[in-house]
Amino acid sequence: MLLDAVSRDALPASAPAAPRTAPPPRPAGRGLSVTVNGLHKSFDGNPVITGLDLFLPAGSFTAIVGRSGCGKSTLLRTILGLERPSAGRVTVEAPSAASARAAPPRRIMFQEPRLLPWASVLDNVAVGLTGLGTRAERRDRAQAALAEVGLADKAGQWPATLSGGQRQRVALARALVSGPGLLALDEPLGALDALTRIGMQDLIERIWRTQGFTALLVTHDVSEAVALADRILVMEDGGVALDLRVDVPRPRRRGEPDLARLEGRILDHLLGAPQAA
Amino acid sequence: MSRALTLSRLRDATVPWLLPAALVIGWQAAVSTGLVSNRFMPAPLDVARAGYDAALTGELWTNLGVSTLRALAGFAVGGGIGFALGLANGLSRLSETLTDTSVQMVRNVPHLSLIPLVILWFGIGEEAKLFLVALGVFFPIYANTLHGIRSVDPSLVEMGRVYGMSRAELFRRVVLPGALPSIFVGLRYALGIMWLTLIVAETISASSGLGYMAMQAREFMLVDVVVLAILIYAALGKLADTLTRALERSCLSWNPAYRSA
Repeated sequence: MLLDAVSRDALPASAPAAPRTAPPPRPAGRGLSVTVNGLHKSFDGNPVITGLDLFLPAGSFTAIVGRSGCGKSTLLRTILGLERPSAGRVTVEAPSAASARAAPPRRIMFQEPRLLPWASVLDNVAVGLTGLGTRAERRDRAQAALAEVGLADKAGQWPATLSGGQRQRVALARALVSGPGLLALDEPLGALDALTRIGMQDLIERIWRTQGFTALLVTHDVSEAVALADRILVMEDGGVALDLRVDVPRPRRRGEPDLARLEGRILDHLLGAPQAA
Repeated sequence: MSRALTLSRLRDATVPWLLPAALVIGWQAAVSTGLVSNRFMPAPLDVARAGYDAALTGELWTNLGVSTLRALAGFAVGGGIGFALGLANGLSRLSETLTDTSVQMVRNVPHLSLIPLVILWFGIGEEAKLFLVALGVFFPIYANTLHGIRSVDPSLVEMGRVYGMSRAELFRRVVLPGALPSIFVGLRYALGIMWLTLIVAETISASSGLGYMAMQAREFMLVDVVVLAILIYAALGKLADTLTRALERSCLSWNPAYRSA
């Protein structure tokens, strides 16, 4: 009964079938790689990020966890170009060194869906194609992206009529419709209930595996990071305190002992940190 | 099921008019029985007859037309300037710093207190009425347009930027629709002020129009025409409000607060 409710409301129709079987081959990545060199960022003289170096290979899935105020959202916003570094540099590039103009776009998914309430669901997804193609092409591609997140039948509705999880799926379709090379996720599931969140995690993982973009997830939910990422960075005091590889094969079962052990280790680090008091 | 629906719809349509209808019937009864002298208050039937006569001679239509034209012209001028300045000040810090203090100072002068000055400047010609209506309409439109633009959710603006919208696109797709509910509030205020200003101006200084018609009738003790004029104001106000509501409902149908039941 319960599972029925989840799969109908929280998961697109095709999602339950996709995981748990042999993983499809990863597509030749159109992902972008990210290089961060000696990044400093401060707001009004208060340092938030202090000398951070980082390399994210194209097509990887990295999660950043940390206490609130550790600078993880700032790092993500700086990589996306929403904040300017105080010092150091951020380079986002296509590994094949194609011309910069042809590089796939970078997209961000915010904690709130940030849909335009006065535009239909379809038009909201088409916002992701601003400046690309004709109006008819944009509508077609938006419709396809909506189908991918399982909301094809909601195209003509106003966002106000959707549930919180559905709105966040529309935001995901908007972020993905242009075929981004880098998708930054800024605690996108933080406001959702636990069951909807698990459905969304599976959806994001499935789409990441088929599309091959580079994913960077900022979250305060350690179990979410462990379930989704190849690599987990624990941030503390404006730097990377812990850099962990997650070698558990996909698809991952929730509550697998390896994942639980890893989650425990990260939580111990976060809770046991001497600065905690 | 559908029968019950029709019935409830019928009830919704009639209930608001029960009170006015009862009032009119009571009024007619009070005058007919001599409870109230018809020198103070003419019976509804007398008012209706006065309206019929005025309509027949064409006097009513001429005055109604003149007043409506004045109202709309003043509204277009004042509303247009208010809207443009509200947009400019909402979008540009420089424009706001330059003009907002002056606007706020002028705003605190009751515009009807300018009537003596306006008569000195323009006499009792059309310009006087247009000036006063435009001035009265300007402030609610200006203030609500500015407030609407200010209150657009900045996270939506950031979203638009991230998705590469140009400034023009950002304005058309995010800022203006976001400001629209507030602009409509200004519009409804402005329509009320438009009629009020016009009637006062026509009552004091005019040679045509509804206000003038009422003042002429007072000279000749035609109470029924005076009451007729007042009822026409009520009808015009209601009409303007209904039109705005319909416009709101079609422009703001995305907003659950404005969706028709």
